[in-house]
Amino acid sequence: MKKLLAVTACPTGIAHTYMAAESLQKAAGEKNVPIKVETRGAVGVENELSAAEIAEAHAIIIAADTDVDEARFAGKPIVKVAVAQGIKIPGQLIEQALALQASAGTAAPQAQVAEGSDGKRKQPVFYKHLMTGVSHMLPLVVAGGLLIALSFFKLNPDEGTFLANLLKIGGAAMGLMVPILAAFIAFSIGGKPALAPGLVGGMLSTQLGAGFLGGILAGFLAGYVAKWLIQNIKLPRSMEGLKPLLIVPFLSVLVVGLLMVYVIGTPIKSLMDALTVWLEGIGSGNKIMLGAILGGMMALDMGGPFNKIAYTFAVGLLGSGVYGPMAAVMAAGMTPPLGIWLATVLAPKKFTQEEREAGKVASILGLSFITEGAIPFGAADPFRIIPAFMIGSGLTGALSMVFDVTLRAPHGGIFVLLVPNAISPVFMYLIAIAIGTVVTALLVNLFKKKTTQL
Amino acid sequence: MELNIHELLTEDTVFLPLEVGTKEEVIARMTEGLKLSGSVTDGVQYVSDVLAREATGSTGIGFGVAIPHGKSAGVVKPGLAVARMAGPTDWDSLDETPVSIVFLIAVPKENVGNEHLQILVALSRKLIHDDFRQSLLDAGSKQEIIDILKNM
Repeated sequence: MKKLLAVTACPTGIAHTYMAAESLQKAAGEKNVPIKVETRGAVGVENELSAAEIAEAHAIIIAADTDVDEARFAGKPIVKVAVAQGIKIPGQLIEQALALQASAGTAAPQAQVAEGSDGKRKQPVFYKHLMTGVSHMLPLVVAGGLLIALSFFKLNPDEGTFLANLLKIGGAAMGLMVPILAAFIAFSIGGKPALAPGLVGGMLSTQLGAGFLGGILAGFLAGYVAKWLIQNIKLPRSMEGLKPLLIVPFLSVLVVGLLMVYVIGTPIKSLMDALTVWLEGIGSGNKIMLGAILGGMMALDMGGPFNKIAYTFAVGLLGSGVYGPMAAVMAAGMTPPLGIWLATVLAPKKFTQEEREAGKVASILGLSFITEGAIPFGAADPFRIIPAFMIGSGLTGALSMVFDVTLRAPHGGIFVLLVPNAISPVFMYLIAIAIGTVVTALLVNLFKKKTTQL
Repeated sequence: MELNIHELLTEDTVFLPLEVGTKEEVIARMTEGLKLSGSVTDGVQYVSDVLAREATGSTGIGFGVAIPHGKSAGVVKPGLAVARMAGPTDWDSLDETPVSIVFLIAVPKENVGNEHLQILVALSRKLIHDDFRQSLLDAGSKQEIIDILKNM
């Protein structure tokens, strides 16, 4: 049974709002269509639609002469008319709404899943927002990652050459990854007004070195801040027009920006400083331990502060002629995307079509030491996937140290093999990576519960 | 449910029948009733607010009913006037049919207790139903109209 929802509103909020509501209810009753009508009139909002009802609804009819916040209906088909039409042609509106399909809008995939699943079990709202962000980020990761991988046909290409430009384009795409992730998590929560603070929060996360985990945080922050501002700022009617154009954009970006810089940014900086000191303390005293820690850090946030510290630490040691940690770090950075690819191959049923395709791309990114290739999977289900990545990467890092592998180039992935003597011993290095990949894949499939929609 | 409709509607504000005229004439005549009942103090202000609302879109909601209304500084307490027209009256209605029943609603500019608003809300909802409208059309006296509205 398709359920419908409706919202009615008019400027005076006395007559039309309620007539349209009654009209729609009457017409729906005659057609035996369940409907709930929210009225936004002079006596306040009555019969308010809940998030759960919206998620379950087939479509939404808005019959209003005032602005109705549509953000909460993101992805749902909407029939939008003047309030008078709700009174005049309620039957037609109901037919129209029933005939609509979920649009290709943002939250549509979730909406269809909710409909398609036999039970009424819905994804927790937290994951819905994450998935909206991840699905918009994914094309950037794929395009950026592949372009960067292509540019590795020659390591350190000269400035201005074609390969260097590919690297530049890929870098631009990768640079947008976290802002888009944050922006669409925010969008999923707060609608269009949340996009701007989400983008800015994501950008700041990148600039502050907070990586994709910071981006996820920024997205949720921006979404709820924008939503709160929209609901709670009250202006005299003559200035109401300023709210969406000036007040909400300005305040939401300001608040999210300040929170990112002072509340997220400052601790991240002290964390990074402390970690660096700590890593130096471990030194090469216990090299297996060091390899495991560096590996785990690479996989923890894949481009965030932990990853950067581990990487910078290893690169720093290159200058002192210590090549072991670099090898461990690169190997550990390759196993998350490689592991996710293997996981999709081993248990395709646990993944959606989209994820399986993304898995193929991840294999290339993994070989190229573009750890970010695994971010969409990690971001979609962080509490299950990231531990799997960390264990696999930690193991690989430790093995690389055990095998005394040395690496003299700071990047390049498998393409480093093309450079004579950059890695040795090559065979043991590949074994370390292979073991980590297999362990990651098995753990991912063990932890992963069911298909998550991308 | 029995509503305390007396405070909104008195015999002064029931017009049975009201002679046909333009929209403006009908609103002006009914406003006189609202002044008598003590709801409207500034008739000029109130009529201009009602007409301003009317200008944004006809309040002829179809089914032969119009509900002109105004939230106005000329109103001190919520009021309701109802008129059964002597003949079909043009109201630029949504369904392009003339109206035979007009409800004129007066609401003070400052928000007042919800109770009165609730009555108007209930009335608005009731008007959608054919049998309710028919009973108003069939009513033979002012008191009968008041009783119908009281018991809606």
